[in-house]
Amino acid sequence: MWRDLVDLLFQAYEQFSLLPLFIEIALAFIVIAILATIVAYSAIMYKRYKSYVHDKRVAFISPIIEEMITEQVLLNEKLGMDVPTEDIEFDPAALANKIYKKPFVRQILIETLIAYRKNFRGEVGELLRKLYIDMELQKDSFSKLKSVRWEKKIKAVVELTQMDISISDVTILPLTNSTNPSLRAAARNAYVQLSKNEPFKFFDIATEPLLPWDQLELFKIITTTKDIAIPNFSRWVSYSTNKSIISFCLKLIAHYDQQSAIPAVMELLNNKDHYFRADAISCLGKLSADAAEEKMVKIYTHQPLNCQIEILKAMGSIASGRNLEFLKSEFLYSSNFDIRMNAARAIIRHNTQASRLMVEELMEMTYEENQLIIKHCLNPLIKY
Amino acid sequence: MGATFVEYASVFFETTVFLYGTVLLLIYAMLAVMSFINIRLFLRKESYTDYKVIVGSPLAPGISVIAPAFNEGLTIISNIRSLLTFDYPNYEVIIINDGSTDDTLEKVVNEFSLVKVDFAYDIKLSAKPVRGVYKSTDEAYAKLVIVDKENGKSKADATNVGINVAAYPYFLCTDVDCILHDQTLQMLIRPMMEEENKRVIATGATLRMANSCEVDEGVLIKIVAPKPLLARFQELEYIRSFVLGKMGWSYINAVPNVSGGLGMFDKEIAVKAGGYDPASFGEDMELRMRMSRYVYDNKIDAAVRYIPTTLCWTEGPTSLKIFMRQRTRWARGLLQLMQAHKKMLFNPAYGRVGLIVFPYNFFFELLAPVIEFLGIIYYIFLIYFGLVNWPYAIILLIFVYTYSVMISSLSVLWDQLTFQYYKTWRDVVGIISMVFIEMLIYHPLIVVFALRGYYFHLSNRTHTWGNMQRRGFKKATDNTPKAATT
Repeated sequence: MWRDLVDLLFQAYEQFSLLPLFIEIALAFIVIAILATIVAYSAIMYKRYKSYVHDKRVAFISPIIEEMITEQVLLNEKLGMDVPTEDIEFDPAALANKIYKKPFVRQILIETLIAYRKNFRGEVGELLRKLYIDMELQKDSFSKLKSVRWEKKIKAVVELTQMDISISDVTILPLTNSTNPSLRAAARNAYVQLSKNEPFKFFDIATEPLLPWDQLELFKIITTTKDIAIPNFSRWVSYSTNKSIISFCLKLIAHYDQQSAIPAVMELLNNKDHYFRADAISCLGKLSADAAEEKMVKIYTHQPLNCQIEILKAMGSIASGRNLEFLKSEFLYSSNFDIRMNAARAIIRHNTQASRLMVEELMEMTYEENQLIIKHCLNPLIKY
Repeated sequence: MGATFVEYASVFFETTVFLYGTVLLLIYAMLAVMSFINIRLFLRKESYTDYKVIVGSPLAPGISVIAPAFNEGLTIISNIRSLLTFDYPNYEVIIINDGSTDDTLEKVVNEFSLVKVDFAYDIKLSAKPVRGVYKSTDEAYAKLVIVDKENGKSKADATNVGINVAAYPYFLCTDVDCILHDQTLQMLIRPMMEEENKRVIATGATLRMANSCEVDEGVLIKIVAPKPLLARFQELEYIRSFVLGKMGWSYINAVPNVSGGLGMFDKEIAVKAGGYDPASFGEDMELRMRMSRYVYDNKIDAAVRYIPTTLCWTEGPTSLKIFMRQRTRWARGLLQLMQAHKKMLFNPAYGRVGLIVFPYNFFFELLAPVIEFLGIIYYIFLIYFGLVNWPYAIILLIFVYTYSVMISSLSVLWDQLTFQYYKTWRDVVGIISMVFIEMLIYHPLIVVFALRGYYFHLSNRTHTWGNMQRRGFKKATDNTPKAATT
């Protein structure tokens, strides 16, 4: 029988080799296309089946895990009895359940603990952390940290951070400067949260950029993490060579209203990069840096439009009243709409007797479009 | 002598078509691979992304959502409410009433406690005159801006007004009756904020058919694959175009266009490029090309990115007449675009746009229907003169058919790998079944309507902006047909 089959295939091959090349190619592609189509549908079925099984397993295992956490942590009798968390012992039998040896279950357990810890702080949060450690789940996280796959490393970093488990500087610092943006961001976020002494040390060594998206999370972490030692960010404004770090520090300076940083920020007004200058001017405005106003007015004429607009906004925030005539002149004589709009806003933001009089005067003396600008800026229904 | 010429012509035609087909098939194979890599990369990133960080962040960039409306009185209230539910801290919703002749404006004014305000804005892009700008006296609707303008007979004209009025540096362009995911803004702004060395000038996401979905007050309640045959074909086409096509092109920064139904743009670049062209029949493609021209002319290293997540559900035409009108317009738009920007074709000064995007659009989007049509004529000629080698012809037909089935099947697979939007096997099988009959039923329609569009354009036939009778979404309160511009 095998011999017949071999003969048949041989004959088919002989016939095939007699066909023109393009027909041979077409036949080959037909076979490939049919196989690929079969594989595609098999993969769809497999994927959906896998999701179904996964959901079933999670549905089965989650109640068991949650029951264990509830009994061992949330309803732990020693909670609230002034017993130090490290002295609270869990029921060994509950933790020794064989299902907790399975990697799949351990991963769900880690994720559940993280979810609980996001909702519970204080003593309960600490006890959740102790459960994570007692069940040696940190070993699972650390083994992921050694993976060559960056997404696994990120998962590990996030798990360890959420559980407040220290990662040595030797391990984490190089990751804060990784060329992989995602890994770099996760490591930086972790470093700020885990480093007790110098959470901003990576700012010193950062050569890779801190992307705007990553700044969102880092900003949130810095501004919401308790007991974090906030340094004077002007240090990096003055000495860092990483533009994105400086730009980020300007936002932090404004957020923390670090008045002592004003001289360092003013130095940036001489920077060649106009985007940078605009960031610095915006920061000075948010700091209401009175001392910077004269310099901003002085450099105004030579600035590109984005910097000029930021200067006008900053003058509205500073509202010293010394440069109302300058603002008036920009409003009346600039040919640029945005300049006139921002000059009008800056005058109105002063909200002093002099500025109100000036607004009235401008309404009388200026032409229709400028009057519309003033009405627009005065209307409380219009925010922007 | 005559016979020799015909022979030469035949050989030339056959060789050209063979090479053309081979390159097209290779491109599709390449797109399948690139989209797979890109989708995997996206999913890996998504697995640990917490979008909540942007929700309360003071660093979130401002976004203006621009949605033109024309005679949308029946559904405008729920549409606007839907647009006001984005999970994003810093945005405004600008609805452009494009000279509606129904009660669209009155309804909106009453529902949202609007008053006419003195609103100053810079007319950076020319458009039909604005009759008034309205703001709400209710703080709950502080994000809402209604602009009432004279009808400009195009979405482009209305959107240009929206761009003029927009306060923020990014704008999202959509249709007022599209149903958008509440995370649309956060997901589309992300690529703009995480590119290391390029300025991302536009982003887009997958669109799907909402025809059979359940919708309540402009919010999607249940996703169901479309039941009408024509809408189901379009669903498959959209999956292939977005999940496989655009994700593949995005991988090499060569996205041909950002859909008019959903696209986020860098306002500064869009304005400097001249905004939308009201005379264009394909204003979305046109804007993408203009922006590309601008960035290349000004030596700005830019990118256009796509994400595979479905963020927009739209109602596709279910009547052949409306569908024909839509595709005819698209085809006119493509031909118009090629004429307007022909300077870019194979022009290395325009980088990937000149060397990849434009040639692809020209050869494999614009010329494809023409070549297919000529191929059919040639086939008929050969059959008539008995010159067809039937066994070979059938093998070649099976080859083309199986290859197209394979590509569509892969796009369905990629889609299923990404997100399992369909909860039931019935929906999945419903879409898969289209893969096998698409080439026989749907594809010929596309070819015919495209040729019709080219003919209309070349013969300078006037385009009428007809009303698209929408059927409304499955639900709840509203099943009444409504009118919209097509």
